[in-house]
Amino acid sequence: MMQKFISSVQIILLLSWTTVCLFGQSFPGKPKIVRCRSLEKDTFSCWWKPGSDGRLPTNYTLFYSKDSEEKIYECPDYRTSGPNSCYFDKKHTNHRTTYNITVMATNEFGSNSSDPQYVDVTCIVQPDSPVDLSLETKTSAGVTDLWAKWSPPPSAHNSSSWHVYHYELRFKPEEEEKWETVSVGVQTQYKVVKLNAGLKYGVQVRCMLDCGEWSEWSPERQIQIPNGQSPPEKPTIIKCRSPEKETFTCWWKPGLDGGHPTNYTLLYSKEGEEQIYECPDYRTAGPNSCYFDKKHTSFWTIYNITVKATNEMGSNSSDPHYVDVTYIVQPDPPVNVTLELKKPINRKPYLVLTWFPPPLADVRSGWLTLEYELRLKPEEGEEWEVRKLQIFARLYFFLHTYYVNLRHVSLNNFICFLDYRVKDMIVWIIVGVLSSLICLIMSWTMVLKGYRMIAFILPPVPGPKIKGIDTHLLEAGKSEELLSALGCHGFPPTSDCEELLIEYLEVEDSEDQQLRQSHNNGHPGKNAKMTSKETDSDSGRGSCDSPSLLSEKCRESCTLPSKLPSQDVREIHENNAGKKGWETQCVASSEDKALPFNIAGTKSSTWPAANTHPSTFAYHSTVDAQKITLSTTNVNAAPVLVGNEEKHQSRYSTSETLCEENLEKQREMENMHSKNDQSTIQVNQNKLNEKSSFLNAKIMDYVEVHKVRQDENSAVLLKHKENNGKIEKYTISGNSKEYTKVSTVVDHNILVLMPDPRVQHTPVYQEPAKEMSQTLQQGQVEKNMSYCLPVPSECQREAGGSEYMDPSSFMPSFK
Amino acid sequence: CHTSRMPTPKGKELAQNLPREELTHLILKLLQAWKEPLSHFNQHIEHHQELSDDSLSKAKQISNMVHELKTGVEKVTEKARFSINSLNGMASSEAAGLSISNEANLMSDSDFIHCFRRDSNKVQSYLKILKCKIMPENSC
Repeated sequence: MMQKFISSVQIILLLSWTTVCLFGQSFPGKPKIVRCRSLEKDTFSCWWKPGSDGRLPTNYTLFYSKDSEEKIYECPDYRTSGPNSCYFDKKHTNHRTTYNITVMATNEFGSNSSDPQYVDVTCIVQPDSPVDLSLETKTSAGVTDLWAKWSPPPSAHNSSSWHVYHYELRFKPEEEEKWETVSVGVQTQYKVVKLNAGLKYGVQVRCMLDCGEWSEWSPERQIQIPNGQSPPEKPTIIKCRSPEKETFTCWWKPGLDGGHPTNYTLLYSKEGEEQIYECPDYRTAGPNSCYFDKKHTSFWTIYNITVKATNEMGSNSSDPHYVDVTYIVQPDPPVNVTLELKKPINRKPYLVLTWFPPPLADVRSGWLTLEYELRLKPEEGEEWEVRKLQIFARLYFFLHTYYVNLRHVSLNNFICFLDYRVKDMIVWIIVGVLSSLICLIMSWTMVLKGYRMIAFILPPVPGPKIKGIDTHLLEAGKSEELLSALGCHGFPPTSDCEELLIEYLEVEDSEDQQLRQSHNNGHPGKNAKMTSKETDSDSGRGSCDSPSLLSEKCRESCTLPSKLPSQDVREIHENNAGKKGWETQCVASSEDKALPFNIAGTKSSTWPAANTHPSTFAYHSTVDAQKITLSTTNVNAAPVLVGNEEKHQSRYSTSETLCEENLEKQREMENMHSKNDQSTIQVNQNKLNEKSSFLNAKIMDYVEVHKVRQDENSAVLLKHKENNGKIEKYTISGNSKEYTKVSTVVDHNILVLMPDPRVQHTPVYQEPAKEMSQTLQQGQVEKNMSYCLPVPSECQREAGGSEYMDPSSFMPSFK
Repeated sequence: CHTSRMPTPKGKELAQNLPREELTHLILKLLQAWKEPLSHFNQHIEHHQELSDDSLSKAKQISNMVHELKTGVEKVTEKARFSINSLNGMASSEAAGLSISNEANLMSDSDFIHCFRRDSNKVQSYLKILKCKIMPENSC
């Protein structure tokens, strides 16, 4: 019975097992999450262990959710960490969250989930080691303690702020192998006691979050346990700085103090000097520093600075530090920095930045020059933009303004530098440009108005304009020069001239007679020259006098002064047929006793017959007329000179010169009445006979003024050669009067001349009938008065009031 | 340095207390004292093969600048109507106050450069003070 039962059970079991084996498939087993670890920073992986898979291929999926969120994520990476694992990379690792992870196994029959696993990421991530481990030994009362200090690892994420680190410290002497580990707790410092003096110890520390793993050990720090009594360690000089280039400070760092209180002294010496000084001020700049004030600061000298640490056991000096103050200047930042936003209308808004240089810096004297740099960054931006501020020294004011065009500016540190640069060539450039401009303008002007400019600079030679002879000049008695200027030196005579010449010769002959006659009466003089001149002048006498003119009685020959008269031919033309001539005698006051021959400048006679070149004729004629006059004078020995033929000529020449001189001086002497002594004027009057003969030829005769007596208020005595005339005396008012106007004609021989109201010096004189040689002799003309007297003997004054008379009008009177 | 013995003011107050003429004279002396040593140095380094052409040209440039600076300072003193004795004829060693003329040549290259740097800084500082004395309105 039992056997049957057992076999049936076996058969049943076998059948079910077979069935199970044959079909084998069933629900998968429940997987189990084994562990989650963080192998790398910010990543972690989870592994699971599959349950029974029910002989069917099973798919495993890992689902997780964060914190208490509803959303379910699937594992991002099934492969990286190996089979049956899920790798969470950086993106999927959030340190602040707790992951709720489940693994689900799935096969044909169904699926099966594991129990949920809560994973706090922070707990599974291995923290970093603690940092900044520092060791310090403190010896007191012969006991040396080692103080170790450190800092927690820098937490990149703030998630660990509510996690507390636990620390562990371990140490061992240098030579030994085994570490001694101490659990520190949550503090970041620890005192290690019971250390063997004189040994060198190494110390390490590690940390752990309360739920996580231990970090790695920090790097080992070593420290020497002092023996309890040893000299201090060598201090080191950190840096020396000068904020304003007038003082400077040095700082040092002390070494181990060797267990005893240590004193630090700073010693320095200057370049080139032997003496060693001690720091003048240990306090102003703080502990472990030395402040050199103005008195102790020298520039351009190298300081040799050392720091000595002294304690009971001994002393130790630092390495020497060489410093030249000029190169260690580091100014303070600028002060009073203000930033303003300006929004002008129609323009972009801009910022105005103002600041002041640091207070200590002495920029005023130029000892320190500062350069500024600006750093700015838009608010959202990352990078700082640095701008160097180009402030030229010349534009440097104590208040600096700088315009910034930006959207957002965040100000930060400012840095001061030294130095500036000034360049100035602008002045020379401006000068060069201006001068070239001026040159251009001038050349342009020259081109445009060149003609005018040249004309302005070099006036063109005026064309010849012969207007005639100026009355004034003629009256002034400078006819000589005028005529000479007229250039009547022997111009070729025309056919007309021949007649004239002939007539002229006629006159001359008759004149000669008179000359001889008068010669007796005249004074001996120097006539030789005159004669020669006379003869010379004969040839030159080919004047183109027209017959009509020659026939005129009142032909005037005038030697004109140097002044070329601008006188009007017209005027002469205006008068009756313009046939006028006049005889002008130059009355020159000279030292000679003889009558000065003054040739006043008067109008030139015009010879209208010559239609061609009347002016030239006029001039020529005047000159010739002059010569004729002279010759006649010479002949007469009278018109000019008193009875002295020789003198005539000589005097003519001399008087000519004198006349010229006198004429020139006349103007000066015009008003000199006082000095004028009796100026004798002799006027010789030609014989009427001669004149009548002349009249045929219409030659004007001339009269010589004999004498002018000043005291009698201008008495002019006219001398008539024939001694027919009377002599009447008229006083001449003023010596320098010219008598160019004829007032009346008295008798037939006497011509009364009067001073021309226009010309003040027209004398009034009468033609004497007699010869007044004696008076002439008496009269000495001392001064240089000269004036010309027109002496138309037979001329009547014109009714028109002109100075010159128309000889033709007189013709009948004589005849 | 061959100019070490020159009596130059070593502080701000000392330099400011100097009258302008003396300061200018000092500047000119300093510049004159470097004229010959610089030319010697230029000749000397031309044979150096290690130096680049840039360095050589820089050295020459520096000599020119020193000369120009000296000319410029002289012009400034003319315009400002100082009475300064001309230093043109003075030899460099004489300007530096040395009796031996060769002392400048005995310096090593690095010493030479160091000394020159220091003296040029001196000249610069003195010129800045002088500038603010003469023309205080700009940037002083």
